[in-house]
Amino acid sequence: MKKRLYIELENCIGCRSCLAACTQCGGHEERNRNYVYDVNPLVNRQTMPLMCLHCVNPACARSCPAQAIQVHETGAVLSALVEKCIGCQNCTIACPYGIPKFDTEQNLMYKCDLCIDRTKDGIPPMCASVCPTNTLQWLTDEEIANRKKQFNMDNGKWISSMPYLEGETNVKVNLPGILQGITKLF
Amino acid sequence: MQRDKFYQEIENRTHPNEKLIKTHCSYCGMQCGMHLRVNTATNKIIGVEPRYDWPVTAGKMCPKGVTAYQQTNHKDRLLKPLIRDDASLKGTKKGFREASWDEAYDVIAKNFKQQQEKYGKDSLAVFSGVSMTNEKCYLTGKFARVALGTRYIDYNGRFCMSSAAGGFLRSFGVDRGSTLPWTDIHETDCLFIAGSNTAECHPTSMFRIWNVQERGGYIIVVDPRETPIARRADLHLDLKPGTDLALANGITNLLIQNGYADEDFIKKHTNGFEETKELVKEFTLAYTSEVTGVNQEKIIRAAEIYGKSPNAVVMFARGIEQQHKGVDNVSAYTNMALITGKIGRPKSGVATFTGQGNGQGGREHGQKSDLLPGYRKITNPKHVEEVCHVWGIKQEEMPGPGVSAYEMFELMDQKVIRGLYLLCSNPAVSAPNLNFVRQAMKKLDFMVCSDFYLSESAEFADVVLPAVTWAEDEGTVTNLEGRIIKINKAQEPLGDSKPDWQMQVELAERLGKGKYFSHLKTAKAVAEEFRLASKGGNADYFGATWDKIDRQDGVFWPCKDENDQGTPHMFLDKKFYHPDGRAKICALPYRPPAEEPDDAYPLRLTTGRVVYHYLSGNQTRRIEFLRDMCPEPFVEVHPQTAKIYNIAHEEEVRLFTRRGEGKFKVKITEAIRKDTVFVPYHFGHDESINLLTIAALDPISRMPEFKACAAQMEKL
Repeated sequence: MKKRLYIELENCIGCRSCLAACTQCGGHEERNRNYVYDVNPLVNRQTMPLMCLHCVNPACARSCPAQAIQVHETGAVLSALVEKCIGCQNCTIACPYGIPKFDTEQNLMYKCDLCIDRTKDGIPPMCASVCPTNTLQWLTDEEIANRKKQFNMDNGKWISSMPYLEGETNVKVNLPGILQGITKLF
Repeated sequence: MQRDKFYQEIENRTHPNEKLIKTHCSYCGMQCGMHLRVNTATNKIIGVEPRYDWPVTAGKMCPKGVTAYQQTNHKDRLLKPLIRDDASLKGTKKGFREASWDEAYDVIAKNFKQQQEKYGKDSLAVFSGVSMTNEKCYLTGKFARVALGTRYIDYNGRFCMSSAAGGFLRSFGVDRGSTLPWTDIHETDCLFIAGSNTAECHPTSMFRIWNVQERGGYIIVVDPRETPIARRADLHLDLKPGTDLALANGITNLLIQNGYADEDFIKKHTNGFEETKELVKEFTLAYTSEVTGVNQEKIIRAAEIYGKSPNAVVMFARGIEQQHKGVDNVSAYTNMALITGKIGRPKSGVATFTGQGNGQGGREHGQKSDLLPGYRKITNPKHVEEVCHVWGIKQEEMPGPGVSAYEMFELMDQKVIRGLYLLCSNPAVSAPNLNFVRQAMKKLDFMVCSDFYLSESAEFADVVLPAVTWAEDEGTVTNLEGRIIKINKAQEPLGDSKPDWQMQVELAERLGKGKYFSHLKTAKAVAEEFRLASKGGNADYFGATWDKIDRQDGVFWPCKDENDQGTPHMFLDKKFYHPDGRAKICALPYRPPAEEPDDAYPLRLTTGRVVYHYLSGNQTRRIEFLRDMCPEPFVEVHPQTAKIYNIAHEEEVRLFTRRGEGKFKVKITEAIRKDTVFVPYHFGHDESINLLTIAALDPISRMPEFKACAAQMEKL
């Protein structure tokens, strides 16, 4: 059954294990491709991962004059093809989330390919495999729907997630605040 | 074995020309399952792959775990023995030359013999650690007592978990770090977590811990800092460092007053309730709040949630243990479980987050100054006789009890201890009051250090022996649950490095003690003798064969024989290990920290850890990813305190106590008390916060008070 990357922002503890693991899939030249941010650095320890959301209609690929960014049949938006990328950096500007990174020495863009060597065979990407908090998970659509139901916070103050952000994405995100929607055991 | 809802059936990815070796992480007590990727052409470790089918951690790893493999073929590895002929260079990296094993052993044997002839057997000490296998820990104890014949052996667990051991022994009569398996954690209704920065120090517990809240359960966190787990907790009791005992007594008082005591359980299975009930009466809400600095409403709510919870687990870590009343803190928090009867059944109990990889197993089998294998006492003639029988020595040949880790440095300073064999530890960073400790190490006539990198402590040695990393040897480790697991060999030792057990066997032969050691030719052979030596002790490993460990995904001790599957849950029969089968509820009067703030030193200094580093940082500071994430120590200061001192984020301050000082960059955060500053301890030389900490020792565990002392700072 098809699984997706699912992000539960409330769970993040900022350990950056996802970044360390990003170098380990065997196909990433041991460079990490995503981000973890301190949300309120002088205030508290809240952190959040910023992963490529693998847009259904990806701005990075649309902006590429060389068609170097391919979309895999699983929906994963791949890293630039080495032989095609001209190093124009359009993609880094076009992406609404600032995901693509640029290697100035190689004049080459690189980004998350959702560990395509793993995910094409249903094996979870490295980040979701190691994430110690289940901030990053590899779930079926049914499991994601169940989680949305569990964290139903339709109280006018909190929302658990929006249908999508800039455009529809293959990765699904649950915003912080999930605990507001939980009924306590006692 | 247990397969819970987090278990996933996932096939691993194996790349061409690679094989996967099933093992566990080298670092903390979680001992996360992992595969090491080995290149089949070079037979070298090249990476890591999750171990999805490990029941405790389901493939999850923290950033230390993900990068742990980079230790083995690291450029800083020691590949040959090193000898330093010029003793005046001690305390520096200078003057070492490479040598053969033969020469190194000759120098060591000659010096050990000469020194012991001149100053007696006990002039030589062994200082060990518990980030190594049970087999190595066991043999180190035997090596000290049989090959060296010295009473002075102790280990770095005195700076880590010895207060938990002391508290559990007093409360339960047995010291198993967790009374229940980790696969129960997410199913409980309330986690009461005191003095544990769990998200940074045991990150792979977090998916279970968060799940308690997702199910509608509660998390209560006791910590002077708003750590990542405290940030999301239902209740954060932000106490002053070093006041845990008052808080535990205050909550216990409320539990009794508000009718949450389980009188039937107390009557049938415990002693000491009446005295404790009397003593905690003094800890009224007002008094408890005044001593701890915690808001009264929060204390009431904490007692209410814990009291009402059908099931609850009390958990703690170094925050409460590294105090000069650490043992009392452990027993006092354990009282909460005993008084409410929330123990001795699934989903309820008490657990410590064991710090070091083998902190549990390593303290059970004879590296501690007063212990012999199987948690036997060296002061108990029957216990001594049992171990002498396995070792083939006479009872009168067994040395008596020695002193604790920090006290060994005092004896070095007094020239009672003149020689040191240090392995698997870095006390030049991890001990308290480092100015004193470092000069005591400098005073040694002769020192040997075994490590796989040139640690800060190795800089004091005359001979440095190149040990292997965890991935170049095999053996067992006991994780924080009390589950005995198997570490497997992924690569042949790099260069001329050797496992410590092999060094000890070969050195024993040089010292004329070969007949007690020469039969130990493999780690497996050591394991067989060690299982036998533990047989009949409280920590009985006899039934935990390597085969069974593999078959069952680990074996929980005690495991007495072939048919025994081990003991995941302790005390299910409500039988505790004291002679009358009852647990002890302890009446514990409050003592403030050894050094309270005053006009000259108005701040409370507390120390701890960050997620990117392990212990003294000797390993993790060399891993590029981890070093990039946290390259240097810092001092956390509340913005209002920073205002008083006129300091801004990232400015430098001189932080000082009565014992020492250091320069640290300021990290402003509201996630700390205004009266407290925090510095992580993983750094060496001038960057060590332990230059400032106090060596006030717990009277039972001999644990120093790393967590609280008085300090002052000034802007630079």
